[in-house]
Amino acid sequence: MANASGLVAPTLPSLRRRFSPTLGVYRSGFWSYDGVSRRMVCSSAAQGAEKLSPAESKARRLVSKGCKLVGCGSALPSIQISNDDLSEIVDTNDEWISVRTGIRNRRILSRKDSLTALATEAAQKALQMAEVEPNDVDLVLLCTSTPEDLFGSAPQIQKALGCSHNPLAYDITAACSGFLLGLVSAACYIRGGGFNNVLVIGADALSRYVDWTDRGSCILFGDAAGAVLLQSCDSEEDGLFAFDMHSDGEGQRHLKAGMKEDNTDQELATNGSLLELLPKGSSSYSCIEMNGKEVFRFAVRVVPHSIELALEKAGLGVSSIDWLILHQANQRIIDAVATRLEVPQERVISNLANYGNTSAASIPLALDEAVRSGKVQAGDTIATAGFGAGLTWGSAIIRWG
Amino acid sequence: MANASGLFTPAPPRTCSPCTPIYRSAFSFSPTPRILCSSIAHRAEKLPPSHQAQMVDSRGCKLVGCGSAVPSLQISNDDLSKIVDTNDEWISVRTGIRNRRILTGKDSLTDLATEAARKALQMAEVDPEEVDLVLMCTSTPEDLFGSAPQIQKALGCKHNPLAYDITAACSGFVLGLVSAACYIKGGGFKNVLVIGADALSRYVDWNDRGSCILFGDAAGAVLMQACDSDEDGLFSFDMHSDGEGQRHLNAKMKEREKEHHELGTNGSLLGLLPRGSSYSCIQMNGKEVFRFAVRVVPHSIELALAKAGLTRSSIDWLLLHQANQRIIDAVATRLELSSERVISNLANYGNTSAASIPLALDEAVRSGKVQAGHTIAAAGFGAGLTWGSAIIRWG
Repeated sequence: MANASGLVAPTLPSLRRRFSPTLGVYRSGFWSYDGVSRRMVCSSAAQGAEKLSPAESKARRLVSKGCKLVGCGSALPSIQISNDDLSEIVDTNDEWISVRTGIRNRRILSRKDSLTALATEAAQKALQMAEVEPNDVDLVLLCTSTPEDLFGSAPQIQKALGCSHNPLAYDITAACSGFLLGLVSAACYIRGGGFNNVLVIGADALSRYVDWTDRGSCILFGDAAGAVLLQSCDSEEDGLFAFDMHSDGEGQRHLKAGMKEDNTDQELATNGSLLELLPKGSSSYSCIEMNGKEVFRFAVRVVPHSIELALEKAGLGVSSIDWLILHQANQRIIDAVATRLEVPQERVISNLANYGNTSAASIPLALDEAVRSGKVQAGDTIATAGFGAGLTWGSAIIRWG
Repeated sequence: MANASGLFTPAPPRTCSPCTPIYRSAFSFSPTPRILCSSIAHRAEKLPPSHQAQMVDSRGCKLVGCGSAVPSLQISNDDLSKIVDTNDEWISVRTGIRNRRILTGKDSLTDLATEAARKALQMAEVDPEEVDLVLMCTSTPEDLFGSAPQIQKALGCKHNPLAYDITAACSGFVLGLVSAACYIKGGGFKNVLVIGADALSRYVDWNDRGSCILFGDAAGAVLMQACDSDEDGLFSFDMHSDGEGQRHLNAKMKEREKEHHELGTNGSLLGLLPRGSSYSCIQMNGKEVFRFAVRVVPHSIELALAKAGLTRSSIDWLLLHQANQRIIDAVATRLELSSERVISNLANYGNTSAASIPLALDEAVRSGKVQAGHTIAAAGFGAGLTWGSAIIRWG
């Protein structure tokens, strides 16, 4: 089928052996429902792989893999800009903004601040909560559209965290759906690739691409970072039940920051015709352009449907949802989705009043605040969904802890 | 361990036929019964027994199609010697590069990537509608939010398959391959397009003779498809990063110097607001990057081979990121692989970043060099610093 979507590895009610993530030898297997091993996937991932006894090897091969969310963290810049502050530089006011968007304040990075440092702080907190050492991290996924290097920022976070053993670190670009994609990618890496401790970080500095003279958009965005540690576990503890993710390139015209050429930088030598053909200075991206109305319509149309699909795949009903955590773009979108799904208000997590739309950071930021405030507790089932530029959207049904 | 790495050895032969095709399992012994189900269908419809039986089989992935595309504008070493102080002999001896292609003003990297993807789909005999994931490996998208959805649209993929970008510089394509394999094996995807495409010409300082000679633009693509585990074609991988090395190869963000807007009269707030960002041109310490590559790449390939339970003699082809012929030669020598087993086309295209591996693969396949069943040791390395290798089978 064209749309493969969230698929959980089949599991079997036979072995309950604890699978230690710290083990050097890494084996996983898949089972059919009837208990017969279909496949032995052998692997030895680690340097210094230890020898297991044949019985142990066989037993380990039989345990299939799950993943669980074991830690979260977030970080915010210190500069806060209120709606009143904005009303002094563009023609707007606090009432207009808060009624139409739900936003009252947002944080932005100062010129000296670094998004990489913010992301690192969020990641450190997630590791602390999870009680996992940086050295045990084997994959760092940075979900961002605004890295501080053309080649990505994830390796800088890996370095700042002090991860020895050179774990792979790379960036995923999927705008406001980025974190959701990061979670699902992490799950696939754990289930299909043998990884054990995957840091998924959502961090964006959209303030750097906002047109601060455009009152339609400058009121919406803020900067932040959030992180989650996803850890391999026995399949019975698996915490990513199902997902559903899509893109529609047709919708790009409603939300984009296209490339433009910058003509001012270089003085070139005197070969006329070649010079005319060469790019004249490094390219850069325009400010964010958005048709708010179309994006709103898109979100309220696709998000409830996506969550319903994911619930169905997980074999769960709306009543199983303890919390609804959506990408924090606009309170009216959040309300509309909750209403459509018939999720009561008290089960909806929202913090965009304080931070605005922080793109890939918004979901982990909201999750982290909800966990640390005691709202979200271990065992709670969360329906989470991201949506935004691409257009891309996705949802996942997850369990915290 | 900190470095989990790739392990995809194929399974021993199946011993019995898959039976009742219910792809659901339930646990009754845990306090909160949990139902894990999966449905790969868009509408979670009931699947016919035969299809469900197929799903019960464990999963492998195979490379079934490839394609590439290059811009039409070619720049030779002689052309470059007219705008910077260099010459053909210097460049070709030190790098192996003679020509490169670049996108000119109106050309689009997205179009190039789409063309490469289309060719891969044609070779694989897979319709765009059957694609369920588009991975665009690039550092130079044409939109801040990524270019993959535009490729999805241009290809005419209905059913809205997920499409997103991976940024890992010159290691991007190998990461894309491994990600695709993980999505297939761990996430139920079936037809994953992995595209490597970059337009580094847009970030090159054309005044700097040390770097402007090296880079070119291109796109390459591979279609990876789910299959039975006995046909699995991604045997193992080994991938790493080292952020310490970023200082040797980067294109950092910088703030624009002049203000493009007239802002209002609030002095202090204006002073805080960002003035727009862009990326610098590529900065590289060639010597350090060279040393890095010849040090980590052979070791990574050897690790991957060990994980796959294979040796160097199993390698039919060595397919490295096409950065510099001397790096390629050094790695081949270290691995004791004869040069006729080494794929190299950078003489014509220069360093095309994430496109280089699929571009070289595509040429080697279409020329008849690489044939179905051949084992390839592929490795990418570059900015991050990031590097990775994978032992794969073509077809």
